[in-house]
Amino acid sequence: MVHQPCILTEIMSYFMSVFAFRNLVLPVQTKTLLKKHSIILLVFGFFAGLVFLGFFMTPYNPVETNFLNRLGSPSWQNWFGTDQMGRDIATRILYGAGWSVGLALIVSTAGAVIGTIIGLLAGSLGRLVDGFCMRMTDSFFAFPELIAAIVITGVLGPNTINMVIALILVSWMRFARLVRALTEDIKRRDYVIQAKLNKIPYYLVLSRHYLPNIILSVVVIWTSSWSRTILSISGLSFLGFGVQPPQAEWGAMLLDGKPYMLSAPHVMIFPGLAVLITVLTLNLMGDHLRDHLQALEK
Amino acid sequence: MTLNNFIRLALIKTASLILVLLGVSFLTFLLYYYAPGDKALAIANARYIGEGSASAELVEQIRLETGIDRPFLVQFYYWAQDIVQLDFGVSLVSQEPVSEIFVSQLQETLELAILSLVIGMSLAIPLSMISVWKPKSFIDRFAIALSSVGAAIPSYWLGLIFIFVFAAKLQLLPAYGSGSLAHLILPASTLGLWVLTSQTRLIRSFLLEASAAPFLETLKIRGVGPKELFCRHIVRHAFVPFITMLGLDLAFLLEGAVIVEVVFARGGVGSLLVHSVMSRDFPIIQCIVIFSAVTYVTINSAVEIFQWFINPVSLQR
Repeated sequence: MVHQPCILTEIMSYFMSVFAFRNLVLPVQTKTLLKKHSIILLVFGFFAGLVFLGFFMTPYNPVETNFLNRLGSPSWQNWFGTDQMGRDIATRILYGAGWSVGLALIVSTAGAVIGTIIGLLAGSLGRLVDGFCMRMTDSFFAFPELIAAIVITGVLGPNTINMVIALILVSWMRFARLVRALTEDIKRRDYVIQAKLNKIPYYLVLSRHYLPNIILSVVVIWTSSWSRTILSISGLSFLGFGVQPPQAEWGAMLLDGKPYMLSAPHVMIFPGLAVLITVLTLNLMGDHLRDHLQALEK
Repeated sequence: MTLNNFIRLALIKTASLILVLLGVSFLTFLLYYYAPGDKALAIANARYIGEGSASAELVEQIRLETGIDRPFLVQFYYWAQDIVQLDFGVSLVSQEPVSEIFVSQLQETLELAILSLVIGMSLAIPLSMISVWKPKSFIDRFAIALSSVGAAIPSYWLGLIFIFVFAAKLQLLPAYGSGSLAHLILPASTLGLWVLTSQTRLIRSFLLEASAAPFLETLKIRGVGPKELFCRHIVRHAFVPFITMLGLDLAFLLEGAVIVEVVFARGGVGSLLVHSVMSRDFPIIQCIVIFSAVTYVTINSAVEIFQWFINPVSLQR
């Protein structure tokens, strides 16, 4: 008996099944999850709180200059010192977290969505679509990420929007490959073949059978893509192709402070440390998430 | 059966390689074609530099000469014809042939890449082997910490720290420029540390994966000692993924070289790329982009074919 769904009820039931999944799995696992991963969750929560706080309130104004206090060393008033225009570095790092982490979140999420769609189409439709999509993925993959990002932003004009476009263009392939490999496997499962024989509409098979099976693996790759993108964004900004210097992005701050590095090393040390700690926290989060999901599967 | 199978797969691989190369060149041209700005004006200004802005007639003449106003596919055809013959044209800025500029810069990048690969690998291989040989020892913990911290260090920042510590404070090594071996040490260490951390992580995971293989239990019961087990069986099994990774590493090193070369103000393909992107020197950009993509794709395919030779089981899939 084939039921007659419409797209609206389908979306609703999809969300309901996601909630159902959460209700089934999470309560059982929450205790062990909190116990096993408590440290990294605390650290992540702490930094997430800082970023959130930095978005609304900072100790100083991040763009206000104060030439009386140029290149000031770290002190009780300015924990991380001041830069060549007398701006408080701690404030700028807090404020810049929104740029680095937020933009990276946008980029990696967009990449995940595009990659998942292409991977799903390639894996679940016929051989022709598969061949086309995968050769396209291979072609995009052939360009080293950073080189492609530099060239695209440079040619389109170095600013934040073009950098985001460039980074999305170089980040979706990883997802497409992963999703396609997973989909290939799901395609041969009995319930998918059964659904096909019952003439269940394609979008239903996608949302009911394919998506729930791949979503967790996508999330794991998504966290690593997020941290990689933070490195790319600050790297591009450091080279002068991303967020432009008056803005308080970490890479742009390094580029700004580079000439004053020898007399005032704190100008260079702290933005780099911010990148390091953020990326490290995200990487560790991703590792823990992967371990947790692997434990779930068993 | 194996040889026939091999030839068939090699043919399929070559066909898809050609398709990918076509896609690569198409994407590169697409970016050039849709780049904002008048290309004929840019060429005119670059060619007759110092004579003020180029006259309208001159721009028109260049437009006819280079065929910039022709349809997309026609332009792509002529462009691809030149590229296949490895003719990338002349640089818009210096008017020298692109291939000459590129080859002269490639040498410096190769020096940097090879030295950093040697530095990184000569530390990563023993470190990861000891770490798997003695799990939970001090070195194992060190390797784990190093690989997770190292993956998070931004290389431009590390380069600046190296300059600050070794060149400015201790005054041991020159910070900027290139020429002697001493100039090469700091950049190569920066890139080498990146190789070290990423490779330690990977080699360690390969070795761990190999040491979890079920046949090792049988060997153990047969009475094969732990030393022989490790050296003859585990290391051997980790070798295939290691080769795969080594090939891909070369491509990633080119990417890492971009930032390191800029930080240390060295010559090389990376800084050439950054400078030509800044001055919108399209022939050079195209040459570098196509070179890096073709290198990557070719290495990738070569590695895959090499894998078939070492491990014929992968052919049957």
